[in-house]
Amino acid sequence: MTLHSPSRTTPDRMDLSFSGEAIHPIVVSFPVAYFTAAFVTDLAYWRTADVMWESFSDWLITAGLITAGFAIIVFVIDLVRGKRSRTLAWPHAMGYVLAVLLSLLNAFVHARDGYTAVVPTGLTLSALVVAILLITGWAGRALIARRRQGAHT
Amino acid sequence: MMHVLKIAHAATLPRLAAVAIAGLGLAGCYDNGGDPKIQIGDNPVLPPLQQYLIPPIRIAEVVPWANETPTVPQGLQVQALATGFEHPRSLYVLPNGDVLVVESNGPKAPIHRPKDVVTGWVQWFAGAKGKGGNRITLLRDTNGDGVPDVRTVFLDHLNSPFGVALVGQDLYVANTDAIVRYPYQEGQTSITAPGSKLTDLPGGPIDHHWTKSMVASPDGSKLYVGVGSNSNITENGIQAEYERAAVWEVDRASGAHRIFASGMRNPTGLAWEPETRKLWAIVNERDEIGPDLVPDYLTSVRDGGFYGWPYSYYGQHLDPRVEPQRPDLVATAIKPDYALSSHVAPLGVAMYAGTDLPAGYRGGAFVSEHGSWDRSPFNGYKVVFVPFSGGRPSGPAQDVVTGFLNANHQARGRPVGLAVDRSGGLLIADDLANIVWRVSSNRSERPQDAAESK
Repeated sequence: MTLHSPSRTTPDRMDLSFSGEAIHPIVVSFPVAYFTAAFVTDLAYWRTADVMWESFSDWLITAGLITAGFAIIVFVIDLVRGKRSRTLAWPHAMGYVLAVLLSLLNAFVHARDGYTAVVPTGLTLSALVVAILLITGWAGRALIARRRQGAHT
Repeated sequence: MMHVLKIAHAATLPRLAAVAIAGLGLAGCYDNGGDPKIQIGDNPVLPPLQQYLIPPIRIAEVVPWANETPTVPQGLQVQALATGFEHPRSLYVLPNGDVLVVESNGPKAPIHRPKDVVTGWVQWFAGAKGKGGNRITLLRDTNGDGVPDVRTVFLDHLNSPFGVALVGQDLYVANTDAIVRYPYQEGQTSITAPGSKLTDLPGGPIDHHWTKSMVASPDGSKLYVGVGSNSNITENGIQAEYERAAVWEVDRASGAHRIFASGMRNPTGLAWEPETRKLWAIVNERDEIGPDLVPDYLTSVRDGGFYGWPYSYYGQHLDPRVEPQRPDLVATAIKPDYALSSHVAPLGVAMYAGTDLPAGYRGGAFVSEHGSWDRSPFNGYKVVFVPFSGGRPSGPAQDVVTGFLNANHQARGRPVGLAVDRSGGLLIADDLANIVWRVSSNRSERPQDAAESK
């Protein structure tokens, strides 16, 4: 075990000890990147109708869902170990869950054959997922900022 | 996965999938297909198209025939001509009466999208992944008792062969990627001479529809080859469809080819109509826009004709999945002659010019329907007869050979290639049970019919 067990009452402390911190924020960045990239390749397919981009989107969404699955597992492990994230709060988590559910729906839409695998429903869902991720990220930061302020005053 | 599929067959896969996502509030609705009868003939009823979250998949559980046989109408009888093949797909009868059984399956499909992984599982469960022999077996009945007593490997080490045509002493085999010519002497039971390539055909690496059907022109100067599309609906890119979804006309002397007709998604069988000497084809149409779209069809093949795929179906019905569209081509799209109803998967056609079967079958077309995999209730899984008169279909299709599905909707067999043997019997390749069936007149049962056909 670690020598200095971090306190759970100070969410803003700069302790980088791996065993003491929640691990899931690291894993969460993978689905975020995959889903965002899928939106970009969807845009490319919408403009070019080149199926290469549609294949990219398919695999990116699939990879996003798989890594999101890992993130959920790791999150549960963190909960069991009693490690709380410095950055993840419940409204934040709800945003991620919504993004993953919409992406699951999006994977089915993307499994269609031809142009309607992306345009318009698939592209719309990809854009919606990116918007939710952005709002969630911003809300998360705002939340932390407020907490920090609270801690300093 | 096996376990999941085993459960799935009981509930059918789409229902299971629908339950799985119902919790997300995403459950798709699965309309059952309507009565196929309204989609048979020259004016099929076409419902509006629908698109799915999860396309319906309904495949039949595979069970053995045991000692049973398919069912035929009164006056006909059916028996197994031979068994124990490796995925028999097509049949060809040589002038001396020898029967060639082409044992074949498609090349391994590449995985381009996550969906291809699922498709592979589905095909495996449907028994469609059986290893093909990549060879042609010869059957000969020397004493004329209807039971072959010679069985030899006629040609081996082929590459997913399907079509066969003999012109004089040149035997042509349409592999999935090339037409190969072999020297043939009447009476030969095996060919060991190396073949020579007449022409390449569109093959891998995708090779989505791999079968190359083939017939020779009546004068023997040309070969006509059915080349299927490389996708369901251009999802592999329009570049992958170069010279596909077409009937090729190949010059037998030079090997040069031209596109005789295009826009036919998967022309799996070609035949000459005996009265007008025109070329006819059976064509497998597109999937995933509904249980009653799009009807597969039987049609005369017009020189230079365009039949719609991928841009439109049944004339000018646009398919929104294709981008960019081609209104110039759609304007010229020919409506096929005769609809067989949706998702029946016609894989064999034989125009009947024999004399053994009752007179009503003379001059018409037998069509084998391999059976649906994405429609509920099942459609196809039988051999039908389309009567012809004056070189045109002249009435509703009649069920001739049924019982490939048993009463519990389990598949005992699936009919593929058809041929008429020298004594007029109808031969049917069954690529699920690995059997070749023979249908003939049962004269002891209906003596008046035998008299009628004199």
